[in-house]
Amino acid sequence: MRKSKRSRRRRASPTVRSLACTVASPASTKAKMALLDLFIRTCCILALLSREDFQRIPELAINPLGDRIINAFFSEGEDQVNFRGFMRTLAHFRPIEDNEKSKDQNGPEPLNSRSNKLHFAFRLYDLDKDDKISRDELLQVLRMMVGVNISDEQLGSIADRTIQEADQDGDCAISFAEFVKVLEKVDVEQKMSIRFLH
Amino acid sequence: MGAAALRALPWALLLLLGPLLPGQRLQADATRVSEPTWEQPWGEPGGITAAPLATAQEVHPLNKQHHNHSAEGHPKPRKAFPVLGIDYSHVRIPFEISLWILLACLMKMGFHVMSSVSKVVPESCLLIVVGLLVGGLIKAVGEKPPILKSDIFFLFLLPPIILDAGYFLPLRQFTENLGTILIFAVVGTLWNAFFLGGLMYAVCQIGGSGLNHIGLLANLLFGSIISAVDPVAVLAVFEEIHINELLHILVFGESLLNDAVTVVLYHLFEEFANFEQVTIIDMVLGFLSFFVVSLGGVFVGVIYGLIAAFTSRFTSNIRVIEPLFVFLYSYMAYLSAEIFHLSGIMALIASGVVMRPYVEANISHKSHTTIKYFLKMWSSVSETLIFIFLGVSTVAGQHYWNWTFVISTLLFCLIARVLGVLVLTWFINKFRIVKLTPKDQFIIAYGGLRGAIAFSLCYLLDYEHFNMRDMFLTAIITVIFFTVFVQGMTIRPLVDLLAVKKKQETKRSINEEIHTQFLDHLLTGIEDICGHYGHHHWKDKLNRFNKKYVKKCLIAGERSKEPQLIAFYHKMEMKQAIELVESGGLGKIPSTISAVSIQNISPKTLPDSNALSALSKDKEDEIRKILRSNLQKTRQRLRSYNRHTLVADPYEDVWNQMLMKRQKMQQAELQLQNAYLTVPANRIDSPTMSRARIGSDPLAYEPKPDSENLPIITIDPASPQSPESMDLSNEVPKGCGGLPPSPEEDEEGLVMRPKEPSSPGTDDVFTPGTSDSPSSQRMLRCLSDPGPRQEPEEGEPFIPKGQ
Repeated sequence: MRKSKRSRRRRASPTVRSLACTVASPASTKAKMALLDLFIRTCCILALLSREDFQRIPELAINPLGDRIINAFFSEGEDQVNFRGFMRTLAHFRPIEDNEKSKDQNGPEPLNSRSNKLHFAFRLYDLDKDDKISRDELLQVLRMMVGVNISDEQLGSIADRTIQEADQDGDCAISFAEFVKVLEKVDVEQKMSIRFLH
Repeated sequence: MGAAALRALPWALLLLLGPLLPGQRLQADATRVSEPTWEQPWGEPGGITAAPLATAQEVHPLNKQHHNHSAEGHPKPRKAFPVLGIDYSHVRIPFEISLWILLACLMKMGFHVMSSVSKVVPESCLLIVVGLLVGGLIKAVGEKPPILKSDIFFLFLLPPIILDAGYFLPLRQFTENLGTILIFAVVGTLWNAFFLGGLMYAVCQIGGSGLNHIGLLANLLFGSIISAVDPVAVLAVFEEIHINELLHILVFGESLLNDAVTVVLYHLFEEFANFEQVTIIDMVLGFLSFFVVSLGGVFVGVIYGLIAAFTSRFTSNIRVIEPLFVFLYSYMAYLSAEIFHLSGIMALIASGVVMRPYVEANISHKSHTTIKYFLKMWSSVSETLIFIFLGVSTVAGQHYWNWTFVISTLLFCLIARVLGVLVLTWFINKFRIVKLTPKDQFIIAYGGLRGAIAFSLCYLLDYEHFNMRDMFLTAIITVIFFTVFVQGMTIRPLVDLLAVKKKQETKRSINEEIHTQFLDHLLTGIEDICGHYGHHHWKDKLNRFNKKYVKKCLIAGERSKEPQLIAFYHKMEMKQAIELVESGGLGKIPSTISAVSIQNISPKTLPDSNALSALSKDKEDEIRKILRSNLQKTRQRLRSYNRHTLVADPYEDVWNQMLMKRQKMQQAELQLQNAYLTVPANRIDSPTMSRARIGSDPLAYEPKPDSENLPIITIDPASPQSPESMDLSNEVPKGCGGLPPSPEEDEEGLVMRPKEPSSPGTDDVFTPGTSDSPSSQRMLRCLSDPGPRQEPEEGEPFIPKGQ
């Protein structure tokens, strides 16, 4: 059973890996698009990934945020993600390069800008997509990260404290702007970047 | 030799220190073990002739009499019984050591008084100047000033500084930049050593007759000695300029890790200097020995760290000596590594890093504070002494000044450093996500200070193989002076000029902690999806392994299961509670805090902008009645003081009361949703509270490491509650209710039970130890000392809540 799982995973993850590498290469967006079109045209079968493909990765199962991460790849209501969607999600984690900072000021913000990275993380908290992290949503995340040993009141007081610290407009929830402000000291560019060395 | 050495250790200690002191002692030279110069052991009656005056000890007059009788054979006129005498030689060594240390401390104090000078000149420079003055003074008096002996330096002065650095190493930044640090430390130092050695050899060859005889190996040895960035100097200078954490950890980490390289190169070239010919085999062996030295050092450190962590698991009954375990095990790690010529510094750092998370989870908070303060104290004194002695040794040593050699050394040191940093940064930036900007590179290059390690290493060379030692010493001292004075003094204005990012002083908030962990998990997940085993993946694996196996072995009791987030949160709450006690009590709670607790019950009520509303008269009376009646039940039980337990602190009791009050109010509030109730404002100024305010060192009192207790302590501060609900007699804290008020549950330390009942609320004069609630006695034990907490950062001020 494990062997077959692993072999299935090996089938999935080279795909995933190679897709990810394409994303990370400093080629221009246009080239990437051309590549992806070629890819899709030539390998239709592997062009779609489902949730099960992700769930086969064993480490994600023990990751407390595993389900949410998987859901982040799939857009609303869809059960399958194509290469484009996959790439969009992973592009958030490309390291910010210096030469990108100066050019293209007028164009749309690249996906791996600091703001978009933080927005990605914010969306993982905010399940109901109301642009606020409410106390319940925070509690859910805390519960996932902390485990089962801690009582609800304790988690509640931690959540209260967290919201109280971050909240500036008094709505007892963390909006995106407050989220950004709280994390201003954290080096998000470094933390939320993956260097694809292959 | 070993057994004899052990027996002779206390004597050897003093004998080693003997030559340190001025006087008619032996001349300072490069011997490792100095011969005993003064043959008089203590209390020997034969010392009569040496000691000019009669001794003050009672033994002596009698012996003297006896001796006189037996020796002389005819009765001498009896000397009068000496009421007062002088015997300086008896205490000479400890006295002089204490004098030196006292001098160092007074200097430190003096610099802070002269704040105008210390703003411009870093402390290390001032200390060297003081050393020069003292050395000059001693020389002027006619005595020979002591030179900083290498043994004393390496065995006594250096370890506290390194242990302090290693124990409080900011591990997150260190591991994130480990690759960069290693490259700078290893490749950078190697480059420096060979570049400098080679160039100095060239200079020596063309330098004229005075220098021709210095061979390549000697030059390479010189290069390896002087190329190492010195942790002491870096710490001393960088500490004052508050540079951002990345640069600090890069330069500082480099200075720590290059010890392995320095040790290897030093021993290598020292050995090779004796050989006729250096073969390839020797070079290969040298290369291998680098790995042995560094990895061996780390291994020794890890072993001792694990043993220390394991020992700390069982120290719950002997809290008083807990800090000693930390110090001893680390020091033993250092010494053990030194036995095998492994890198002692790396052993020390590894042991500090490994033992810290587990020890901190096991020891009491008081022990933690003790460790912190002792380490800071020792390292501070050590550093001061080192710099003073550098100054004194400059005056005392024999110098051989050779313009060519010294100037070219200085020049090439700087060039080598700059070139090395530039080339390595170019290489490293290919792999870094956050690149090192040219400003960063400049600071890294400029921060390459040399210090006392180079001096001591050179001092260790023996004359017979290296007769140019004096010239080396002179050159090294010049480089040290230049780096410390010129670079040390100018780095601060340069940092300001270049607008280098400074250190962020604020404390890590709970938000940051939560979100950072969140991002860790997120990134681990993404990495797993990509199949890319990066930094997060391995960190996650290590954490899991740690949680599953290691923590269970090394951490006592319930704490092994406590998630890091919870520990962090409790620590924050503790600090703020103490802060509240210190700042004068509950009356000053900012409105935002009450807002949070309000929102749980009545979202409609808006918080006042200022203090909570005052108590009405009859509510107050009711409270007092309740308190009085309940307090009658409690009895004071104060354990007698003995050396094995720590007497409870009066502040602790007050703090306990505060927490109890808060917790009571919170619980009551949850049951009833009503108007505010506060502690009457005038309670703030009770003597106890003002004493608490004056108290300088807040010692946190942790709850018992019991998961049921935890919810209670962490409740938000005083929140609205109705007077009726304040039925203190019936309310039992949730978790504490389970604990019987039995003395054996208690750790030593915070044993103070509530004292005899006084009227708690009436005159608002709290005598220390008064408790105003019955269950506070149970609470006291819950809050008694043993709770360990991880300290996320060290030395940070407590932040006031909600401000």
